[in-house]
Amino acid sequence: MSYTRRDFLKATLGATTMLSFASPVPNLLVRAANTGTGRQDDRDTVLVVIQLSGGNDGLNTVVPYADDEYVRNRPTLRLQSNDVHKIDSYLGFHPRMEAFSRLYKDGHLCIVQGVAYPNSDRSHDVAMRHWHTAEPDNPNCQTGWLGRTADSVWHTNQKDMPVVFIGPIVQPFGMRAENVIIPSIQSPDDLTIDPAPGESQPKQAVESFRSDKDNPLLNYLRDCTANASSNSRRIEAVTRASANKADYPAFLLADTLRTVAQLIRANVGIRVFFTELGGGGIGGFDNHANQLGNHCALLHQLSESLAAFIHDLKKDKLLDKVLVMTISEFGRTVKENGRRGTGHGAAAPIFLAGGKLKSGLVGSHPSLTDLDNGAMKLHTDFRRVYATVLEEWLGFESRAILNKQYESLNIVNV
Amino acid sequence: MAVQNDKLRDPSWAWAEYEPNADQPWNLAQAGHLYRRAAFGASWEQLQQALSDGPQRTIDKLLKPQSEAVEFNRTYDEYEVATSSVDQLRAWWLRRMIQTPHPLLEKMTLFWHSHFATDAAKVKSDRLMRQQIQFLRSQALGSFRILLQGISQDPAMLLWLGAEANRKARPNKNLARAIMENFTLGPDHCTKDDIGDAARAFTGWFVLRSKLRYIPREYDSNEKQILGQKGTFTRNDVLRIILEQPATSRRLVRKVYRWLISETELPDEALITPIAESFAKDYDVLKLVETMLRSNLFFSKAAYRKRIKSPVEFSIGIVKALEGSISTTQLANDLADLGQNLYNPPTVKGWAGGKYWINSTAIVARHNLASALLLGSDPYGKKLNPWAVAQKHGCDTSESARRFLLDLFLQGDLDSEFYDSLSKTLRGQNVEELTRSLAYEIIALPEFHLA
Repeated sequence: MSYTRRDFLKATLGATTMLSFASPVPNLLVRAANTGTGRQDDRDTVLVVIQLSGGNDGLNTVVPYADDEYVRNRPTLRLQSNDVHKIDSYLGFHPRMEAFSRLYKDGHLCIVQGVAYPNSDRSHDVAMRHWHTAEPDNPNCQTGWLGRTADSVWHTNQKDMPVVFIGPIVQPFGMRAENVIIPSIQSPDDLTIDPAPGESQPKQAVESFRSDKDNPLLNYLRDCTANASSNSRRIEAVTRASANKADYPAFLLADTLRTVAQLIRANVGIRVFFTELGGGGIGGFDNHANQLGNHCALLHQLSESLAAFIHDLKKDKLLDKVLVMTISEFGRTVKENGRRGTGHGAAAPIFLAGGKLKSGLVGSHPSLTDLDNGAMKLHTDFRRVYATVLEEWLGFESRAILNKQYESLNIVNV
Repeated sequence: MAVQNDKLRDPSWAWAEYEPNADQPWNLAQAGHLYRRAAFGASWEQLQQALSDGPQRTIDKLLKPQSEAVEFNRTYDEYEVATSSVDQLRAWWLRRMIQTPHPLLEKMTLFWHSHFATDAAKVKSDRLMRQQIQFLRSQALGSFRILLQGISQDPAMLLWLGAEANRKARPNKNLARAIMENFTLGPDHCTKDDIGDAARAFTGWFVLRSKLRYIPREYDSNEKQILGQKGTFTRNDVLRIILEQPATSRRLVRKVYRWLISETELPDEALITPIAESFAKDYDVLKLVETMLRSNLFFSKAAYRKRIKSPVEFSIGIVKALEGSISTTQLANDLADLGQNLYNPPTVKGWAGGKYWINSTAIVARHNLASALLLGSDPYGKKLNPWAVAQKHGCDTSESARRFLLDLFLQGDLDSEFYDSLSKTLRGQNVEELTRSLAYEIIALPEFHLA
């Protein structure tokens, strides 16, 4: 018997969707505003964060192929200058990141070099915690930076939650919020209620059915239910129209980004998407042995998936409202470890991709000889990058979220 | 109407014991209301029994368990001892909420879990978390004084707050801050200096290998000044001083008011004062809860449907009404997705609740959970069967089942026209499926999310 959830919903949602038009006075709800504290403007820009779990080896991602120290420290892992996709006479992309190289040439990619948190801690848990809380000095911080973002911009009469986690792993701590509930989804199905057969019901009649019009909680629930079903219809229209049209490679990350693109198209109020590559926990980027093949596969997935996403958005003229950022808990040691792998490091590059950024290299490449316990030193605190995407890109007040004003990087062209 | 509103603000009327009358009759709606607040919803039999018992006798039963409740909880405590993970503890707690003969105790344990919110993910010990929740349950309807004393030396709490080392040379303010700003006075009624000196009074206490230890030489015996009082205070002195502050009892009463009565508006000071003063005398939680549940205010318009169900209340309410038993392991995971991960509240402030539970995506997720519970396939299986429940209570047609389910889930809260129109468009393959669809349809109504 193939009676699925969707059939079930189709059969039953008649009245529910009909009810969703029953909101009598949605605009009056504003009076009870319990507003978030953060400033925001009316931008509709979108940030997509991709977490590379495990600690990505920045040196073999954006490769200083011309640096003798690189060659000397990486006897088995070194990538040859003939194979990398050259950025300049010093740096080049990993050989399997051809797509990134194209994005770079097209002006859609920016590389912020030498990023990390201060006082390098080499444990995955602690390091990832720092990236999630954005408060490395407070080991007892109970909220994540995107959780605080949602708390600061959401108010209790707003129906859509501006931050969403999308992926098959447990929601990362970065979205831990004090007040709001940030959804975890895996596919557009998690955001859709099927359109109902009862839609042709006269709306006026439905409205008059309802009692208790002055209960603010009920009004709010009605508004959210109405909004949920109109969002749902928009998402379904988009998924129907764009199904299989855009060309994405067969990677999980690509599927996820395809969904993100559909949700951006559906325009359902999501400003920040967070997703992950590497499998969560101590992720796939943690290569202490035989790094080359595994790392190569992951970078290839990242590069191809992200490029497909960018092209998909560009085709629909949506790229100008989207910025992608990659984060990873730390880079790796400069010297390989004798097992064809690398140890936990410190500074590494962050990628930013989108239609409205100043592409190119930001900051100098960290020295391969002036090291901290075998790893490259940071020159850019990761919170400067966060502040930039929050403030310059999303138009949120970063100080309210990061508890301090960090100097923006001049990379966004809004 | 104006007269009614004046009455709601008059403490002597508001807190007087409710007696059914023409304005506020005792009916199915009031019985449902009582069971949503003092329990996790009701079965049809419980609603009918409440109708014939009347309000006060029903409240007697909710407040004071039959003797079987003690045995029930002892058995469940043993089940929990045999667990080895927080996931299992979550599942046992949800099962306890469903099966317990004393649901008010679980309701208040959940209240304290959110009040003294501790995240198991940081504590990293299922044993310490189990002990904490069992302690909260032991005093959930007991003494707030004992709760506060216990929680201030609870290893799980200290670990969660990062307050496992309270050295004389480096007093740790985390516990003092949590106690004063979150558990008692509130941030507006204590200063940084109060917190700093309280932290000094808490020195000497450590959590070592998951056990609380006192190391006398680490105790700072010098004079402290706390909330205007000076002395060589110890931890217990600080707690005593905090409990003496009117701000403490007021804050607790307001929070219980929000839990049991209404989330929509803040109660007037005049309304809170008399019961806060009475609560401050002995910090007897049972008495406070009893006063609220028995009151005119509780059964008035000011309280009716003036709370949003938490995910736990939403889901357990469905299970209770349909007299079923489902996989609570699965349910615990689904509730986490809805924002209420038991044993893992988001911050020391607990779940913000109210409108924060709801946004468009949360509505979709609640609908999806309801359909998963009612569809009759994996992961919940056919454990819940609305048609069987309707038949059990005398329905023999889909039309009578429709009326029955509306009364069971919403107690006639809808206008009669709407009531009549609901589900007329439904198509089902047979009466059991039709009834499943109907139950889903009712649960998906905005009204059902209100407690």
